[in-house]
Amino acid sequence: MTLSLTDPTWYPIASSEDLPFRHVYQGQLLGRELAVWRADDGNVNVWENRCLHRGVRLSIGINEGGELKCQYHGWRYANRSAGCTYIPAHPADAPARRIQNRTYPVREAYGLIWSAANEEQAFRPFSGAEGHDWFALRPVPVNAAPEDVLAALVGLAPDDQPADQLPGLAVRFGGTYYFVQPLDAGRAVIRGLLSEQPTDPLTTLRQYNELLGKLRDRLERSAARKPAPAPLQPSFEKVSAELSTMPDIAIPRGNTITVVVKRKWTSADGVIGFELAARHGHLPTFQPGAHIDIHLPNGMTRQYSITNGPGELMSYIIGVKAESAGKGGSKVLVETVREGDLLSISEPRNNFPLRRDAVRSVLIAGGIGITPLLSMARFLDKSSLPYELHYFTRAGETVAFRSELEALHGKVVFHTGLPRTEIGTTIASALGQWSMAQHVYVCGPGPMLETVRATAAAQGWPEEAIHYEYFKNDKVIDNSSSFDVELARSAMTLHVPSGKTIMEVMREVGLTVPSSCEQGACGTCLTTVMEGEVDHQDVYLNDSEKASNSCMMTCVSRAKSARLVLDI
Amino acid sequence: MPSIDPITRDLWQVIAATDEILPGIVETTLLLDIRIALTRDVDGNPVVWRRTDEEQGDEIDPETIMDRLPAITGYGYIWTSLGTPPAELFPIPEYAEPDRKNMSCGSIGIHVSAPRAVENFLDMGHFPYVHTDILGAEPHTEVKEYDVEVSEERDEVLATKCRFIQPRAAMSATSAIEVEYVYRVPHPFCSVLYKSCPEDESRRDVIAIFLQPMTEERCRAHLLQSMIDSTSSITDLRRFQQTIFGQDKPILENQYPKRLPLDPRSETPIRADKSAIAYRRWLSQKGITYGVIPVAS
Amino acid sequence: MAITLYDFELSGNCYKLRLLMSILKLRYDIIPVDFYPGRQHKSDWFLRLNPFGQLPVLKDDDLILSDSGAILAYLAKQYDETGLWFPDDPAITAEILRWHAVADDITATSSAARLALGFFYDFDIEKAQKGAHRIFRLMDEHLWFGERKDRDWLCSPAHPTTADIACFPYVMLSEEGGISRQDYPALRRWTDRVRRIPGFTVMSGIFPAGRALEPL
Repeated sequence: MTLSLTDPTWYPIASSEDLPFRHVYQGQLLGRELAVWRADDGNVNVWENRCLHRGVRLSIGINEGGELKCQYHGWRYANRSAGCTYIPAHPADAPARRIQNRTYPVREAYGLIWSAANEEQAFRPFSGAEGHDWFALRPVPVNAAPEDVLAALVGLAPDDQPADQLPGLAVRFGGTYYFVQPLDAGRAVIRGLLSEQPTDPLTTLRQYNELLGKLRDRLERSAARKPAPAPLQPSFEKVSAELSTMPDIAIPRGNTITVVVKRKWTSADGVIGFELAARHGHLPTFQPGAHIDIHLPNGMTRQYSITNGPGELMSYIIGVKAESAGKGGSKVLVETVREGDLLSISEPRNNFPLRRDAVRSVLIAGGIGITPLLSMARFLDKSSLPYELHYFTRAGETVAFRSELEALHGKVVFHTGLPRTEIGTTIASALGQWSMAQHVYVCGPGPMLETVRATAAAQGWPEEAIHYEYFKNDKVIDNSSSFDVELARSAMTLHVPSGKTIMEVMREVGLTVPSSCEQGACGTCLTTVMEGEVDHQDVYLNDSEKASNSCMMTCVSRAKSARLVLDI
Repeated sequence: MPSIDPITRDLWQVIAATDEILPGIVETTLLLDIRIALTRDVDGNPVVWRRTDEEQGDEIDPETIMDRLPAITGYGYIWTSLGTPPAELFPIPEYAEPDRKNMSCGSIGIHVSAPRAVENFLDMGHFPYVHTDILGAEPHTEVKEYDVEVSEERDEVLATKCRFIQPRAAMSATSAIEVEYVYRVPHPFCSVLYKSCPEDESRRDVIAIFLQPMTEERCRAHLLQSMIDSTSSITDLRRFQQTIFGQDKPILENQYPKRLPLDPRSETPIRADKSAIAYRRWLSQKGITYGVIPVAS
Repeated sequence: MAITLYDFELSGNCYKLRLLMSILKLRYDIIPVDFYPGRQHKSDWFLRLNPFGQLPVLKDDDLILSDSGAILAYLAKQYDETGLWFPDDPAITAEILRWHAVADDITATSSAARLALGFFYDFDIEKAQKGAHRIFRLMDEHLWFGERKDRDWLCSPAHPTTADIACFPYVMLSEEGGISRQDYPALRRWTDRVRRIPGFTVMSGIFPAGRALEPL
């Protein structure tokens, strides 16, 4: 038998107890090196042992509990998805491109971690697996060809108990099972399981260890007399063409995902929590501060911040304010959407990225504005970065996500029912005087946001240190300009007069233009700009995206130049 | 044995620190998979040849060596070539300034290709993670925009206005300060760094790395410092540079593939990697194939 | 007291002392010795300190000591008020000295391979690598069975001793000698634990571990 790089068999690659929390295990299967780590939620990740950036082994990186941190440049990769969540060299950017490490399928069962070179086969328990309380032996690595190791194990069978060979490199006699993990052409690990707990576990472990140790020595002596087999030559998959260049900015058009409302509960008076779970596997990678669009059954689209911490991808948890239910969007969610319902959401998008290069981060939340800041606090918390979270609520209003906030280790201060004047002084003292590498993040009602911006500015905070997010476009749209729009692919030129939007003019000539909010907030009408200077009036694109002048929202944005060329 | 591309073959290649080679005593090394022997003659001039049965430490009369490879001395090191090298080495004019402390800092073997080591030398983003509390420290991780050009006239990659916040950029510094670097890549396997000099604001310290490609996946790093520093001893300055290089070593040795992939789709660059991208393109355009994985044609 | 360490940054044996002194919060001065390329450890002035011509050397007032294992024992006995790093108990003393001897074997194998590959010493690389693998295999087994008995360290006490300090550096630096630790998962977990000892410090070639998960 020769080993194949494309062998779809599931093999054990580690024992469960090889993976304590906050450790990265170095593994290998069929010539491919693996970085294997258990997140704080118990999930086991099996990734190619190589950072996509510069090819450094991730097994020398740091398991931060929800993210794995590469030792070379500190890139963070999320539990479950292996998606990159943070690039420290560019701390102000949300990594828009989908940088994702190669992952392998994984299953934890019978005291072992199982994986396969590809996803061609579903995991199936070995025959006789069910109904036993399995006991894992000490794994024994052997410098010999996997097939030779299997043959030697077969030879261990007692005379009265013939060996029963199982699919994959495995053999059984009685209640003793041996699995051979093929590391490479000339290296293997023997992983043994007993079908019941022995009465004296330590003695049993020592006995088997001695037996397998002798077998190993014999195999290695005989392997040393033979020419060493050539190691397998796994190739590294190429990254996508999109990732191979260094665009200043790339804005993915969000795909929609169907999620299940797994849980709906009252988090506080007037705040309803929704847990939105993936139907299969996990949800896409998100960064702290990110939001999703929810496409509501009535055709509306609304944005909600993700409150989750790092690596929490089995579901997104959002908070919806019931009070604004009068105005349509949230009302549908609060009143008609029930547990078990399906919803269509966008992939996460981040206009409110969290820098992790601050010596001090001040998070200021008002009311339901706590949601993105809760996520930020959780990320900072996991990386043990310093932060202060100030949460303002009105008198009589209860605190949403209280237990989640109380589980944090940083400085979390609740300010309830402060009179308006005191809010100002509280914010002023929370901010303090600015010094280098301090950042403030604020989310809350408009007046509060303005107070924070004005106070911060007065106390020496530069504009780039003050971060805030709009969910709806409250700006007054200036539609006074007039200009020409050339639609490159449609080969037509249109004139946009003052008072009309690009979108309206395109629709007038019969073009179908996708849109949703039509106020520059949802991103549905994102269009690539080929020439001309854009007059951005939306709140969807972030500053660097706007500065790139490579795309625009046709529902509200216009041209500063006399002519725009669009990729339509 | 891998083939040596003509560009690489005709380059000057560094092989040893001059003052570590004693006249008449044989030193052996490996260059581009070829076994090399070297010594110095009575006048101190380097004598380099393809090794036959000589052993390290043998005594030899250099005059008996007939079949010699080209050899020169430059920047405190001995250089040779397996082909027809240019008349001169690339210039580092500062080296000749009389008040500088010039020193080799030891030749250290690394299990990675020479171009990977050059690329790491050009990289600032790793300072906080690899040279923690010396060349960088979290939370100051940002690599600000800098300029890169490939100078056609001088045939070198040049990165300027490279700025980074360093916790202890100078002995006198008490808080984090922003330092400015200039990087040159004047040779496919060599790079020169200029950094602001604490002792004299108008001048710059020079640190260079010369890589000796031993095989496609193994190299020897020769470090040069040319400093304006009237107080530190050579031992102190060497120790500092070895500390830095010793921190890079485990990173480089955990990088794979060990040869530098030139296909843009093999790794994921970011804006901070501009100089590395320029360097990879420059190697590709030159037709260097030794120690790299060329773009599949 | 005035402690002076004659030190080479890239030496794992010197690092053993820097590590224990960091853990014990001892102040000391460093006199750098240009071991490579300057070979100052073979110079007359150094040979007067240590005729064996080996680093490290530690001076404590007028006392001059050499050999990293011996100095570890001295520092622990002299300055560790807790008495944990080198306990007085005869059986534990023997256990620790046993592992100090293993540490010397690790130096003779793993460190030798590193010197050959990184600093071009004329050593038998393959023999050194094989020797290191043989030791690591035994250590992995010892530590694996230790984990079964809630013993986290090389010796039997419920806390680390100088044995762990003595063995740690050239285990961690083995990859520089071309010796992978992939086959030794229990040894790798132990290196995480050592790196989480309060007061731990790094050397070039050894990165710190991340934080442990805080018990709830």
